[in-house]
Amino acid sequence: MGGVFHAAILFLVAAGLQLVFGVQKIFNLACGSFYALGAYTGVAAVGYFIGRGGSPALFIVPLVLGGLAVGLVGFVVERGLLRFVYDRDETFQLLLTFALVLMLEDLIRMTWGAAPTSTGGLYLGYGQAHVLGTVVPVYNLIVIAASLTIALAMGWLLTRTAFGRIVRAAADNREMAEALGVDLRRVYARVFTLGTMLGTLGGALVIPATAAMSEMGIELIVEAFAVVVIGGLGSMRGAFVGALVVGVLRSLAIAVYPELEMLLIYLIVIAVLLWRPRGFFGAAAA
Amino acid sequence: MTTTRREFLKTAAGAAAIGAVGAPARARAQAKPGVPADPVKIGILAIRAGIAAPVGTAGLRGTEWWVERVNKAGGILGRQVQLVVEEESTPKDTIERYRKLILQDKVDVVIGGISTGVTLALGPVAEEMEVPWLSWDGTTQKGVEETMPNPRWSFRSVDNEVEAIVAGQLTPKYFKGVKTVAGIGNDYSYGHDCWETYQAVLRRYNPDVKFVLELFPKLGVTDFTSHIAAIQQAKPDLLMCSFWSGDATIIMKQAAAVGLFKTMKGVFTTAGGVHDSLKKEFTPEGLLLGYNTMYFDDPKGGPLLRQFVREYKAKYNEYPAYECDHAYFNIESYKAAVEKAYAASGKWPSKAEVVRALEGIEVESLSGKRSWRQDHVQMCNFFQGITTHKNAYDFVTINPIEVVSTKTAMKPAGAKLMEWINSWKI
Amino acid sequence: MRAPFTVLAAVGAALLVLPQFAAPYYVTLMLPFMAYAVVLLGFNLLFGYTGLVSFGHALFIGVGAYTGAVLTTRFGVRQMEVVLLAAGAAAAVVAAPVGALCVRYVKIYFGMLTLAFGMVFYTFLLKFYRLTGGDEGMRMLRPSLLGQEWAGFSKTAYLIGPYYYFSLAVLVLATGIMWRIVGSPFGLCLKTIRDNPVKAESLGLSVPRHRWYAFMVSAVYAGVGGALLATPTGNVDPTLAYWTQSGNVVFMVLLGGFSSFFGPILGAFAFIFLQDAVMSVFPYWRLVFGAVLAALVIAAPGGLMGLIGSIARRSPFEAARS
Repeated sequence: MGGVFHAAILFLVAAGLQLVFGVQKIFNLACGSFYALGAYTGVAAVGYFIGRGGSPALFIVPLVLGGLAVGLVGFVVERGLLRFVYDRDETFQLLLTFALVLMLEDLIRMTWGAAPTSTGGLYLGYGQAHVLGTVVPVYNLIVIAASLTIALAMGWLLTRTAFGRIVRAAADNREMAEALGVDLRRVYARVFTLGTMLGTLGGALVIPATAAMSEMGIELIVEAFAVVVIGGLGSMRGAFVGALVVGVLRSLAIAVYPELEMLLIYLIVIAVLLWRPRGFFGAAAA
Repeated sequence: MTTTRREFLKTAAGAAAIGAVGAPARARAQAKPGVPADPVKIGILAIRAGIAAPVGTAGLRGTEWWVERVNKAGGILGRQVQLVVEEESTPKDTIERYRKLILQDKVDVVIGGISTGVTLALGPVAEEMEVPWLSWDGTTQKGVEETMPNPRWSFRSVDNEVEAIVAGQLTPKYFKGVKTVAGIGNDYSYGHDCWETYQAVLRRYNPDVKFVLELFPKLGVTDFTSHIAAIQQAKPDLLMCSFWSGDATIIMKQAAAVGLFKTMKGVFTTAGGVHDSLKKEFTPEGLLLGYNTMYFDDPKGGPLLRQFVREYKAKYNEYPAYECDHAYFNIESYKAAVEKAYAASGKWPSKAEVVRALEGIEVESLSGKRSWRQDHVQMCNFFQGITTHKNAYDFVTINPIEVVSTKTAMKPAGAKLMEWINSWKI
Repeated sequence: MRAPFTVLAAVGAALLVLPQFAAPYYVTLMLPFMAYAVVLLGFNLLFGYTGLVSFGHALFIGVGAYTGAVLTTRFGVRQMEVVLLAAGAAAAVVAAPVGALCVRYVKIYFGMLTLAFGMVFYTFLLKFYRLTGGDEGMRMLRPSLLGQEWAGFSKTAYLIGPYYYFSLAVLVLATGIMWRIVGSPFGLCLKTIRDNPVKAESLGLSVPRHRWYAFMVSAVYAGVGGALLATPTGNVDPTLAYWTQSGNVVFMVLLGGFSSFFGPILGAFAFIFLQDAVMSVFPYWRLVFGAVLAALVIAAPGGLMGLIGSIARRSPFEAARS
């Protein structure tokens, strides 16, 4: 069950990653940093809410709002930095996101300091439930449900709305989409912002059950990377499946053979890249 | 942000570096005979980023508090103290910063060093550079035996395993009838060493104890739900955890979410490092909790400790943890050694004279008396106790409090750890 | 832009006499610069000349560094020359299978595969602590240079004296060899493959095979650089292989300019000294570096050499020459 909670969070971050890669063909190394940003902002939002007399039972509201709001930073990043390198080689785009990782890490440290911070025990207020023979915090179930809902919402967005159609068209064939009159600039800005918001939301949602810690972004990127490789670059379903695989495998490894935990993930990544580089759902490899 | 004082630097390439604000107060006119008038430069290595950043921050804050007080009172023998702070990061980079402190900034002493990889690498370099180095933390058995067998210039902190030893000694006293034990620690030398030591000590008191599970998640993991599930499955009587950072808080929370400590006892050897984040809502009473070498609420604590805690809380809105006192002791002992050597020779001592004066010296530190053993190892007290909610804070404190000296809990000079543990008379 | 011979000679002369007049600390800072310069020369063979960006080169730096540690502590081998050869060989041995697997993919997949392999090695170093020392790492004992122990020298004197010149010699040698490589038919093949792999195939060049060779050569250079890097520290640890170190390697090459032969060397120099200057005065130096990298990517992808080149092109000096 713990694996599923972890998978739920991973899905959010990976979904953001996939969205950006699918449309803009940029692998955003800074997705982990946005995740961290969402985490710290979430704690601050909850702290502010409680400090002004907000009811602890409703803490999830400022948490989610805070997480989503800070995701708008993605818009600034996209307009301010990323758009200059769309016509460049992929390597440069990757390096720019690496630059973002460095900058965001210090910006977070400057704003919130290096000490771990969290929302304390607020999430325990939601109580526990018995699922499949184990005790699970209700909060975790809420997050899993939220993540599932978002997955479905993303699916609906991409397949049933005009925006979604445009996004998929731009992902499949950029030039054609442009030729058909799609304003790529706006699409890119929105896609990147949406992707960022998914990441910051993931970071905010995970905090009540854990804590915001220094370098949490740098640690997460490796796992997010494993998820998208296994699932297939650019695929939303891939993010879902990949997150489940990574999350569940990890908890299985811990239960059965803890030594292997992290190594297992990398080895699977390598195996997937070698034998089925497109992952489960990705487009053909370059 | 740190409030250090730094000199204006010019690099060899000609690029001028920007100096930080705050020049030291002008050297007082009371500089003593035989003592230079310019400030004495003390190099500090502090972690700024990463999982141990809070520990580095605590050490730096303790040091800065000391510097403010001492400089207001006239400095060391009338010389103002000027800190030159560099970042401790990876071993390779930290060695380079260390060389800069000595070769370029020409500090008289370097104080600091927390992570095991860094302190091990630093030992031989300190011996080579022939400048005293007082380390805050981070020393393990193996490394010290291999890389610092007969230190002349290096002064090491307490052995990393002491808190596991103390916890192991206190476990049979407070938790009777423990037959099975599980352990969880970070996947690096500290986590492994603590677990091995704890097991060895427990076995002395109860040879039949069984260790049913050991887990070593990587430093930086934030989700322990799977680990906790595995622990529940193993059904031990007691869980030993050597986490010392934010992960201690996290695992406490996640354990509370599933009521882990309703079915087993808990020993947290070092979670006192984040004690004010262990809120009552998810930290049960009845756990054995270790605060390393400083307990902020010590009823027997002196006025120095009380003042420090008061001012620290006022300035940072946090309650201090042990690294503050490691740092305080180091710099205070340096001052005491300088004064001792000066009293003997009538002039500001050389680095070698300082080193000689440091050996065996004892000073009043925040948590009580601390000293340097002849073999350059720190001696002090360790504080552990049973968690209680009966206090005025929103986090747990300990009552009763056990104060265990390194005289009984740390291996004597020249001894090997496991042999010493196995030689105890129980 | 090809650096004129006079500039090279001046730089060479400056490097030769540097220990005599520069402060000892800055001389010791030249040592990681030279080590990284060697690494980057090899890296750029892969990046600038073959068009592949490896995000896992710290793997080979780590292999070289640990080779040095293992040889000096476990096997009693103290000759630096042997250590360097072994480091290069070890890196090649590791690079052969890794490279064979990675070069079948390009661009983002290549980058991701190399990152994954780099992290596998990092995890291995960290987890198998009985073998590798784990987070504590392993010592690397002071090696002898050209057969001499230099026992009378303190470590600092050893570093700013014999070891400095030894590293310089290694760097010059490495540069010379790389110069020959890129100028050779093999180098030409690589450039062709970079610019137009399809055409290269049609000309009969085995694209994966040539990339594989380039990969191995770059790994050898990284291994040698890694061993050079480890000696001044005296200790090797897993952080040498972490993915952000690989990122730094790419950063350095970009900083110097990847389309020039000497760009990487300039990049290593600029990075090391910039990092030193900023770290001492500004705790948030990562912010500065991130901003520098971003500025480079957006405005100056040719790096410093590119900037110098465009300034030189605009100067009357250059106009007079052409």
